[in-house]
Amino acid sequence: MQAAIPYRFRRELPPGALGVAMNIPTLLTLALVLAYPIYYAAYLSFHKVSLAELRRGIFPFVGLANYQRIFEDRLFLLALKNTLIFTAFSVTVEIVLAIAIALLIDQKHVWTSRITKFLILVPYAVPPIAGGLIWSFIYSFEYGFLNRILFTTGLSNSAVNWAGEPATALFAVAIPYIWRTLPFAILLLHAALQGINQELYEAASVDGAGAVQRFWHITLPLLRPIIVVILVLRTSFAFAVFDEVLAITQGGPGDATWVASWYSYKKGFSPPFDIGVGAASAYVLAIIIGLLAIAYVGLIYRRTQ
Amino acid sequence: MRPSRWTRVALHLANLAVIGFFLLPLIAVTFAALQSEKSLHADTRGLWPPEWTLDNFRVILSGGAQRGKVFEQATYLPDNIKKFHYALINSTVISVSVTLLTLIFASLTAHTVVRLRARWVMWLLGANVFARFVPVIVLMIPLYVVFRQMGMLNSVWGVIIAETGFLLPYGILILVPYFATIPQELDDAARIDGCSRFSAFLRVTLPLSTPGLASYGAIVFVIAWNDLLIPLILNNRAEFMTLPVMIASLVGDVFAFFNLTMAICLIALAPTVILVLLLRRFVVQGLSAGAVKG
Repeated sequence: MQAAIPYRFRRELPPGALGVAMNIPTLLTLALVLAYPIYYAAYLSFHKVSLAELRRGIFPFVGLANYQRIFEDRLFLLALKNTLIFTAFSVTVEIVLAIAIALLIDQKHVWTSRITKFLILVPYAVPPIAGGLIWSFIYSFEYGFLNRILFTTGLSNSAVNWAGEPATALFAVAIPYIWRTLPFAILLLHAALQGINQELYEAASVDGAGAVQRFWHITLPLLRPIIVVILVLRTSFAFAVFDEVLAITQGGPGDATWVASWYSYKKGFSPPFDIGVGAASAYVLAIIIGLLAIAYVGLIYRRTQ
Repeated sequence: MRPSRWTRVALHLANLAVIGFFLLPLIAVTFAALQSEKSLHADTRGLWPPEWTLDNFRVILSGGAQRGKVFEQATYLPDNIKKFHYALINSTVISVSVTLLTLIFASLTAHTVVRLRARWVMWLLGANVFARFVPVIVLMIPLYVVFRQMGMLNSVWGVIIAETGFLLPYGILILVPYFATIPQELDDAARIDGCSRFSAFLRVTLPLSTPGLASYGAIVFVIAWNDLLIPLILNNRAEFMTLPVMIASLVGDVFAFFNLTMAICLIALAPTVILVLLLRRFVVQGLSAGAVKG
């Protein structure tokens, strides 16, 4: 590339050395914050690490004992199950809603669509922990905003404990999560809609296709690649949900909303500070998400070919 | 094609429902933040408080020194409220530093990816795509142990380093496609005029990439400001808390009633919501670039 230019400067680094020099800050930071911790998490997961060991600085090797412990722990298996239910529910609802809203804000003849489009990013900007706490006020049994709406509009006369019922608590956590992550999915779908050739719709209309048929036979097939990307991205992030659980239920009622991240956090950072077990459980989560990431990279690679 | 009248009415209603869903938490937080605990208790069914007050903000922003009418009789305020200004300053310092550091580091790397195309640089890019998927909790357990051994727990710097590392891959993925749109010929022209490779980067690529840098800067600022898990695990002393950690510390505190916690949430969400609405176009561009290309 640069070979075409004959000029050389006396005090200039050759391109290869300059490339290394320019990457030093990134490489150092990534090594310290990403590469080493990923290795070290694996190391910790094979050792006994709790408060006493942290104080002494010696971590005895225990082999697979930490992994054995979490797979024998009913709570960990429950957390995995809850995470799966949470992810399946939130990602499905999110994608259906996102497609509908992306189509809605694409309506150029409807002036309210422009307001929606303007406000789309608001949930994205709200700190998840603040959003979660606000939703817990909305859900509140005694003072909650949702019950107030139901009373005022006359839809119901008895208070509902939205986040306090074990059967529905997981979904009460999922709604705020969907609320927060919806903007991202809508944006990607809306951008993809702009890329669809309008002549396709006109040709279909001439052939007598109704709006529903145009959606099923033109829009949806053309959106499929981006839907798959959203599916993989959102699934892997939903697996690691944390903030909403902390803000709304702290794992409760009972253990109804224990999810994988919450399990690792509680094991590692609350008494008896079993960091080895926390690391092992986090590693299991990372491996599940890593498999999803491989699928994602494969998809992107196929798309750009 | 102009939709029929009834279709348009239906679409207006659909928009109303979506706007209502998106704004519901903002309405709820404002509702609770602008009244006293007493009036929240007095009327638990209505949507319009009998009286509005700014006392919640007064007590928070003064760190509990000015109590106003609402907190006159309060014998106990959560300890962390008294250190609210620390959280506000820490959040600002951390988010601004993380934004600047990641912008510098990521643009240096993105430039080498676009102009150098050496095998190891492409490998680095691939590693970044993977790194985006690593859940924070996996990194935080080992980082806690390492930072503890290095004495970096409870410091602003520890959080800045951890967040910079965590957000860097995302930035590289956003900036690479942007830098790739800048024609190589401009670089070449600058070199003929006597620029070294590095100063061509400083004087040509960077100024032309302002929109890309703004997109990424806004997104990083929002993520850093909003992040909970990293500062929650690294910093537990009130002097080093960020706003999200302070909010998390009030969850389950029986003395922090909704009027107070909602006022804090409103203060915490205002900067990012305003920033995102102001820089809407850039944020939209950055979010789609970081997800699709890379």
